[in-house]
Amino acid sequence: MKEIVKTNGLSKRYKDVLSVNSLDMNVKEGHIYGFLGPNGAGKSTTLKMLLDLVKPTAGEIDIFGKRLNSKTRIEILANIGSLIESPSYYGHLTAAENLRILQILLDVSPSNINEVLHIVRLDRQHSKRVSSYSLGMKQRLGLAGALLSFPKLLILDEPTNGLDPAGIQEMRELIRSLPEKYGMTVIVSSHLLSEIDQMADDIGIIANGKMMYQGPLNLLHETDNTKNLEEIFLNLTGKESSL
Amino acid sequence: MIKLLKCEYKKTRRKYILFTALLITIIQLCWALYGNYTEFSIKNGWMMFLYQLPLVNAIFMPLLSIIVSSRLCDMEHKGSMFRKILVIAEKGKIYDAKLIYGFSIIFFCNILNWCVTIIFGYIKGFSGDVPIILYLLYLLFTVVPTFAVYIFQHTISLLFKNQAITFFAGVIGTFCGLFSMFLPQIPILRKSFIWGYYGVLQFVGLFGWTKEERYLNAYFEIMDIDWIFFTILIAICIVMYVIGKKLFCGKEV
Ligand SMILES: Nc1ncnc2c1ncn2[C@@H]1O[C@H](COP(=O)(O)OP(=O)(O)OP(=O)(O)O)[C@@H](O)[C@H]1O
Ligand SMILES: [Mg+2]
Repeated sequence: MKEIVKTNGLSKRYKDVLSVNSLDMNVKEGHIYGFLGPNGAGKSTTLKMLLDLVKPTAGEIDIFGKRLNSKTRIEILANIGSLIESPSYYGHLTAAENLRILQILLDVSPSNINEVLHIVRLDRQHSKRVSSYSLGMKQRLGLAGALLSFPKLLILDEPTNGLDPAGIQEMRELIRSLPEKYGMTVIVSSHLLSEIDQMADDIGIIANGKMMYQGPLNLLHETDNTKNLEEIFLNLTGKESSL
Repeated sequence: MIKLLKCEYKKTRRKYILFTALLITIIQLCWALYGNYTEFSIKNGWMMFLYQLPLVNAIFMPLLSIIVSSRLCDMEHKGSMFRKILVIAEKGKIYDAKLIYGFSIIFFCNILNWCVTIIFGYIKGFSGDVPIILYLLYLLFTVVPTFAVYIFQHTISLLFKNQAITFFAGVIGTFCGLFSMFLPQIPILRKSFIWGYYGVLQFVGLFGWTKEERYLNAYFEIMDIDWIFFTILIAICIVMYVIGKKLFCGKEV
């Protein structure tokens, strides 16, 4: 199976701290990749490096089989939709006006705007300014922006942040449906293994910048005879922090 | 590039940026043109403006630049939107598009200001026709220092999330510029701040003015134009642009 994202020895050093420590990440085409780790593990930093928002201090990134650098970045990033940390938006504009700006920049069909607004269920909030949205609604708008071009690769950093239980369930089902419906590959980060459990095909567990486990999710279930998922997760991440 | 400029325009909806810029220009015009016009000032009106207005520009143009640039860049900072658009568009082009869009507003205000000043001169009945060559030079010597100030403000507005920093940097610069204009004895002072170039490029002087006689024997005269420092100013613009763009492109968000 083709690898959509492949990193080799990817590292990021902030002053004296190695926030990401020679990470080898492999994301397969059409899969949902759950990227797990406790707070400060380096998830957001890694995902930002994939988007060329943060420059790695060492290592390489290949996306769609091409090396990510200043020459290829535009070509590669054109096929990635992203939602990093807090959602991005123009507070003084409405959801549709926000998406209109992205639509012009992405050069995609204007009809995509209504389509994605419908997918994230914001189609009835047309005339409201985004600054008056709740966190969950902003998160939905952020997801709409990430989906707008129906990209080959979707990078979602804690997309369920701020959503209510029904919203989390909805988001999970939505993400689950993306590979089949649109042929997307999805990287989704989270603190909770249980949250990822029902949707990911593969997972990578990161703690203190190091990859502790990477592989198919079901293999993790088999190798560890503990039934409780959070226990597995704590075991893996705890090993590192107690060092 | 056209796409980016179109987006800049769409983003400024409900931000009243052009409106604010026009308001400042109107205040500036009121400040500059209001006054007691004596026989002397009607007779020498055109030259008097060329002598007086650089000082007014040194106050208002930097102020206009601070406000326009920080209003334009704050939108992205507030909603962490750089994270989104830097992924979609080329970093250098985002820097350029915002610079072009913002400076177009300032440039429009400059032209408006210049036209109103000339029309006002005719309405007041200044002697003779407007010395158009001198006024075009004056326009050039207003626009170029303003461009330098704008590049500076534009860059720091993009680099710093906190727009209070850019505001203070701009105000301090403006004060340094003004301060240097009141000290023509030390010409190096005004030449070392971009904000002082409104004074460096002022080319009409007032002579023969004394405390006792006032304007009795006073006259305005054209002085040498400092083309060397005009060239240096253009070089400063280019250097600031190159460095600013590089810093912005290397920024991590
Ligand atoms: N700009 C920065 N300057 C210095 N250190 C940073 C910077 N950004 C991140 N770090 C550090 O890098 C480490 C990893 O941060 P990161 O945001 O990637 O964690 P995370 O896994 O996304 O955590 P969370 O689950 O809380 O979002 C942290 O220790 C953080 O302090
Ligand atoms: Mg994070």
